[in-house]
Amino acid sequence: MGVKVFRSPARHGYAVEGSPFIPTRLACAASQYYGIAGSGTLLILEETELGIALVKSCEWSDGLFDVAWSETNENVLAAGGGDGSLQLWDSSSNHSAPLRVAREHTQEVYSVHWSQTRGENLLVSGSWDQTAKVWDPTLSKSLTTLKGHEGVIYSTVWSPHIPGCFASASGDGTLRVWDIKSAACRLAIPAHKSEILSCDWCKYDEHMVVTGAVDCSVCVWDLRNPRQPVCQPLVGHSYAIRRVKFSPFSRTVLASCSYDFSVRFWDYSSSQPLLETVEHHSEFVCGVDFSLHTPNQSSVLEGFRVP
Amino acid sequence: MHRVKVISGHLSSYPPQGGNRKCNINHCRARAAVSGPEDVVVVHGRRTAIGKAKRGLFKVWSFKPHSNSVVCANVSLSPRCLLTLTNITVCLTLAGNVLQPGAGAVMARIAHFLSEFPETVPVYTVNRQCSSGLQALFNIAGAIKSGSIDLGLACGVESMSLQEMGNPGDLSPRLVDFEKARACVVPMGITSENVAERFGISREKQDAFAVSSHQKADRAQRSGRFEAEIVPVVTRVTDAEGTESTVTVLKDEGVRPSTTLEGLGKLRAAFRADGSTTAGNSSQVSDGAAALLLGRRSAVEALGLPVLGVLRASAVVGVPPDMMGIGPAYAIPAALEQAGLIVADIDVFEINEAFASQAVYCVEKLGLPLDRVNPNGGAIALGHPLGCTGARMAVTLLHELQRMGRRGYGVVSMCIGTGMGAAAVFEYPGP
Repeated sequence: MGVKVFRSPARHGYAVEGSPFIPTRLACAASQYYGIAGSGTLLILEETELGIALVKSCEWSDGLFDVAWSETNENVLAAGGGDGSLQLWDSSSNHSAPLRVAREHTQEVYSVHWSQTRGENLLVSGSWDQTAKVWDPTLSKSLTTLKGHEGVIYSTVWSPHIPGCFASASGDGTLRVWDIKSAACRLAIPAHKSEILSCDWCKYDEHMVVTGAVDCSVCVWDLRNPRQPVCQPLVGHSYAIRRVKFSPFSRTVLASCSYDFSVRFWDYSSSQPLLETVEHHSEFVCGVDFSLHTPNQSSVLEGFRVP
Repeated sequence: MHRVKVISGHLSSYPPQGGNRKCNINHCRARAAVSGPEDVVVVHGRRTAIGKAKRGLFKVWSFKPHSNSVVCANVSLSPRCLLTLTNITVCLTLAGNVLQPGAGAVMARIAHFLSEFPETVPVYTVNRQCSSGLQALFNIAGAIKSGSIDLGLACGVESMSLQEMGNPGDLSPRLVDFEKARACVVPMGITSENVAERFGISREKQDAFAVSSHQKADRAQRSGRFEAEIVPVVTRVTDAEGTESTVTVLKDEGVRPSTTLEGLGKLRAAFRADGSTTAGNSSQVSDGAAALLLGRRSAVEALGLPVLGVLRASAVVGVPPDMMGIGPAYAIPAALEQAGLIVADIDVFEINEAFASQAVYCVEKLGLPLDRVNPNGGAIALGHPLGCTGARMAVTLLHELQRMGRRGYGVVSMCIGTGMGAAAVFEYPGP
């Protein structure tokens, strides 16, 4: 796999997501000083033959921790910030200010996701204030606020199959599945004995969810049978799992990235689940996303590298 | 700090199955990061322009009937300009001075009254040679820290037109029997030769450093960088025919933008026949004054006054008297350690250029980035009015950090005749 590198001086990347419309386009949420203090930048990047070019960069007064592309407009993105705000950005405009800013969360917004289910055009945000909020695509006012977690929320992800349904991963050690119509938690799985930093849905099987936790393990869950994971926990990383993602191409393949500077690819149905370990990085690896357009490619975000 | 706790929580708790962990969480030792009501802060700092001793615009005062008044006026002008708010009562004033008898103790009290300070405010003076102005600041800081005062004025003043170096007072004749004691009376220029020879600082390096000092000072002057810190002084000048006129002194007189390496190369060694230290690569003999208002942060905030800087460390160390110029190379690390900082954390170093030899030695020894050392020139171009310099450098440093427009750190340091070095670390908190 060829590695292309984009360096953003004085910024540390927190999340990367490929555009659903433009195969070569990436968005990266980045923060100053590892996101601990200072400001943030939303980077729109374009992959070219020669490397990765910067298309636009948008500054925010606090760190940015997650980014989500719109599913209906190729220029629109949403980002979650350390100041509890969500911003809507237009990558094609000349303005340096966002289209809209929503300030409802009272603590860091660590996760933002745009619904991919047809007919639905909604955003979900997860915050350290222990709530998740659902928004319409104009971010004018939240439609619902979902409470129940007893710890910070690190990740909120829409189900690609079930309308109005999203999963959340929390510092309280539970994976929760929510139904927004009833504004209630449908399922709470005590998936790990440590903080769960990431979760993702299987793109092929609507019942399967993966979690990655501080205990360095990756677990796959069948929501119909939530008492135990479907297989032995996937171990191998030596530090907390920062992000997990299911492959868009294969039912049982997923990727995990960790504070141990590596990215691992797994096939959980195999007796030897570890497929590959990628150790190009020299910083914490914070984000990973599979490219929908190019089967063998994934974008992995580390401190400030996007290969 | 909440985010630090959350993230360090991800790293510290779990042993993996079969991995090896080398992660350690070390708490930051930088005390500089923590601010509190007991901090010693600088509210305000100003200085006069620095005049050339004996030939410059301040020398004329020596002909006036009140010949002490030039020094008095220098001290008095700086505090007066700081008193923009009439309801501030300073608890103590300290003036650093070297050449006046008794460090100018009576002079300072008189200057205090000329500046319309009430009799209830005490004054004293301090002499630690070239660091006296900074020592005055340290003493005020100490009084604040010990709780005996809330607000204090630290000044430095020197007229090298009126008083000359060269009378060290009554020294014991036994000094000849003790090497270190003997070394205390070695002329400063010889200590410079000693440093140049011992550490191999070539004449070319010294001259190049001197040229750079003039260029930086010239750039600073022309771009108006000193305007915010210089207080105009009105004085009367007598020309060769005896005609008197009034002038306002606004600019440091010593800066020579036409200085070149070739020009400096032609100068003869000033202190030793085969030496490398010349008048061109040494600090100038000058007149000047500077003052800073300091206070405990809680008292300063209660008065609604701004905070220009925070004193984060103060260090004075001893070094061999015959190589006194190496002082900053030892004082700066001591001050940085106290502040919990390293060289890379410091945005600006103000290092007194007593001689190019010692300044270059210290910069090289500590690996200081040259673009952060004396960015507005130093004593070679601006002059070194002995007791004033320490306070002057603190004023210039804080204004430079303020100009950078964001939180930053600076160091003031100088060598001290008879073998010492002093250094202070200041923090500019940001606009």
